[in-house]
Amino acid sequence: MNFEITIAQENISILHIVGKILGNASDAFRKAMESQLQTGHDKLVVDLTQVPLIDSSALGAIVTTLKGYQRSGGKLVLLKPQKAVQEVLEVTQLATVIEIYDTEEAARDAFR
Amino acid sequence: MPETILVVDDDPDILELLKMNLEPEGYTVRTASDGDGAVKSACTEPPDLILLDVMMPHKNGLQVIEELKNIDETKSIPVILVTARGQADDKVLGLETGADDYITKPFDLREVTARVEAVLGRTRPIKYINPLKRAMGIGFSEEGLQQLAGHLEAAAAIQKKLLPDQAPSFDEFDIANLLQSSTSVSGDFYDYIPLNETQVGIVLGDVKGNGIPAALLMVMIRTALRLLCHDEDTPAAILKRINDLVARDTEADLFATMIYGILDTHDYTFTYANGGHCYPFHYNSRNGIDVLKTGGMLIGAFEEATFTYGTCHFAPGDIIVFYTDGITETEAAQDTTSEVSTHWEQDTSTLFYGGDRLAGCLAENTELSASALCEAILNDLAEFSGSTQTHDDRALIVIKREI
Repeated sequence: MNFEITIAQENISILHIVGKILGNASDAFRKAMESQLQTGHDKLVVDLTQVPLIDSSALGAIVTTLKGYQRSGGKLVLLKPQKAVQEVLEVTQLATVIEIYDTEEAARDAFR
Repeated sequence: MPETILVVDDDPDILELLKMNLEPEGYTVRTASDGDGAVKSACTEPPDLILLDVMMPHKNGLQVIEELKNIDETKSIPVILVTARGQADDKVLGLETGADDYITKPFDLREVTARVEAVLGRTRPIKYINPLKRAMGIGFSEEGLQQLAGHLEAAAAIQKKLLPDQAPSFDEFDIANLLQSSTSVSGDFYDYIPLNETQVGIVLGDVKGNGIPAALLMVMIRTALRLLCHDEDTPAAILKRINDLVARDTEADLFATMIYGILDTHDYTFTYANGGHCYPFHYNSRNGIDVLKTGGMLIGAFEEATFTYGTCHFAPGDIIVFYTDGITETEAAQDTTSEVSTHWEQDTSTLFYGGDRLAGCLAENTELSASALCEAILNDLAEFSGSTQTHDDRALIVIKREI
């Protein structure tokens, strides 16, 4: 797994992940998401376009971080999960508590 | 265990006075009469707090602190300095060197106990980490690992006792289960709870994360379920209560997925609720394999979670298979994946065992008994992954209605 963080306009952070998020990679994944909140960027788009698969640790990282954003009045949304990832989000019903968007533009609009 | 205070002073009368004053408060008191003795005593068996005189011949209190701060075993022991009246420089220097508080001579004995209690109150939580650090040692000492292993073994033994050895037996039903742990304590769990003569509660779950925290949450959920299952009418209401309990009492990192259902051997029904767990499979001789899709939120992450329940009917020969994701997330043998694993757009169905292959294995083995079906799935997993070892816990329950 590799990742890159870009800051779009209106102070929205976009975390682009490339590759599977499995096992120990979920630590780096979580830290990447939390780093934005810690530096005062409380609007985060997690771009899952290039993530073919996540496991339960990655799911845990999403749950924990999502709650952190909610507690501090911020917001975390997901961008375009692939089929296998979408399935996991549906089985666990995380899809009902986290906003998921199909395009980066729609994801950014979510913060308006 | 009483907390230990190391009192250091070159005046034997003061040592005696402090000892007589602190021991009735419930502390164990050790004494040292010079700086070298203090360092040696602290290193041999780190006390919970050091009451340290500054003015001592040879090595003074400040030098003692500096030495202790450079030794891993002693660097986090709290220190209260005892200084003579008016030596303001000593106080500042002492606090800068790392002392936690100071007392001025001549002291009021009540002040000594008050300050000791205040400092211990602040540092007590840290104290519980130190034994673990010591146990781990630098670069995991063999002794430390053995000690940890001992604790894990004890935890595993407790946990194992909570998992039933045998599935319940009913005239027309054949039930079997399987549990493989990747570490000595497991996050996966199952349980059978007799509700009355014809009904049994069945649970299969997976506490996310590994090791002792996961095992503790598993024990908590299992116990709550055992206590609650007679209180509520529906599996959905039970999952809701467990969810609220876990969500309130644990950190966000800890959560579980689980299925709880009631098998009615008289009505041939299975009524279940699913807390974010992998959908079970239902095999029927006429319709083939169906996925039981009544779902719900994972357990313990959100207090606002709600649950619904579904019922399925057992025809003769029907089979229901519950499993944890340790089974479907089993990775393929290395050589089949190495060529494609660098590209993100790969077909994930070849990388992991997956639900489809599990359903396929079930479809091919519907004639087998419940326990033989568990074995067949295990063999198929070994063939797929090229190994009988597992990185994640795996659990499986098979319920079959006899033909």
